[in-house]
Amino acid sequence: MSDWIIFWCAAILIVSGIAVAAIAAFGLFRFRFALNRMHAAAMCDTLGIMLILLGLIAVSGFSFDSLKLALIILLLWCASPVSSHLLAYLEVTTSTKLEEYCEIEKDERGKDVKKV
Amino acid sequence: MSKIRSDYETSRRAAFRRYVSGEEDLKSIDYMPMFEKQIAEEKKEDERATEHYLVPPLKDPMEDAKLHAELLGMKWFRRLYVVMSVALCLCIIGAMVYNVAFMPAFGGTDAPTNNEVSERYLEKGQEETGVVNMVTGLILQYRGFDTFGETHVLFIATIAVMILLRMGKKEIPEEVDGEESEGDVILRTIARFLVPMILLFGLYVLVNGHLSPGGGFSGGAVIGAGLILYSAAFGFTSTARFFNEKIYDILKVGSLGLYSLLIIYYLFTGANGIDSVVPLGKVGAIISSGLILPINVLVGIEVACTMYAFYALFRKGGL
Repeated sequence: MSDWIIFWCAAILIVSGIAVAAIAAFGLFRFRFALNRMHAAAMCDTLGIMLILLGLIAVSGFSFDSLKLALIILLLWCASPVSSHLLAYLEVTTSTKLEEYCEIEKDERGKDVKKV
Repeated sequence: MSKIRSDYETSRRAAFRRYVSGEEDLKSIDYMPMFEKQIAEEKKEDERATEHYLVPPLKDPMEDAKLHAELLGMKWFRRLYVVMSVALCLCIIGAMVYNVAFMPAFGGTDAPTNNEVSERYLEKGQEETGVVNMVTGLILQYRGFDTFGETHVLFIATIAVMILLRMGKKEIPEEVDGEESEGDVILRTIARFLVPMILLFGLYVLVNGHLSPGGGFSGGAVIGAGLILYSAAFGFTSTARFFNEKIYDILKVGSLGLYSLLIIYYLFTGANGIDSVVPLGKVGAIISSGLILPINVLVGIEVACTMYAFYALFRKGGL
């Protein structure tokens, strides 16, 4: 009985992770602007990989391999958002067509307005 | 550093050095494109025209003759260099093509790669080299000489990039105009946590190379990536506190020299050191399998230095 519970948990986790990755890949090709694309791709880097690795942890149970997989989740959650942040920062500082794509609202003095 | 002799500036060695570093030299006029030559000649004519109004400087009559002789020598050296390098390449190509004729047919069932060799490695490998991860045993023991060459390729690649990037520059810039960015706050916070983990993991992969997948090349790459992350987050000045050019030179040349010594030992014992005096130890322990562990560490140092050096060379122009 418990085998079946573990199996279904793992299967649901892994399949949903694959679905998230597929959505991310779709968004990566669907969007046109770099920041939008990164927004789509970041989902795969964090949520999708977490779901897949949690599924694998469920399969392998309490073991040394599970610990390694958990460490991989930790590492990816640290590294991947930071690298996307740096890429986005680079895009914002160097892109010449930023205003065209992003529709930044400006007040009368020409400064950017933060949307609430 | 040895003392520079007084006649160093006029020697042929100095001329060659000037040529390599891309400085403007008298000898380079001969190799200028046509229009540049024309411009240079016009300039010379202008100078000659103005010379009438000036007192001509006193000249040693022997100076011109010396310079001419030197120029001739450089020219001959260049020609000889080209001819010899082409001849050497042709010799190597000829030897290789000649040897191909004796190789078994591609994909043939009686080729030694298809039957005995891999089986023998798998059957006798653990017993002969004392490793659990057979790939490491293969590349560092049975084919140790190949890996030795690969490590040298890394060394030479860094040297070549260094020469190309420093060509034409008189000095290495100390800092990039002193406006080296502090690095992002988010990046620094994360790097403070990630860099030790990455370096530790690299060390683990390096030292565990004979027990699990990994070894010198991959572990060195991980350590190099950790160094790159550190210098990207905290700047080159804080990296230079523990990894500057001096330490880099010592590590790189030292590790390659030690590796060369071990390989020379391999060559003298024959059979790539399978029957070396170093005991193999218990299979599966960290300190086991003879010389493979030190070689892994040396290769790892070499690879880490190369990776970081490439990053620093392209970003800053020097270490």
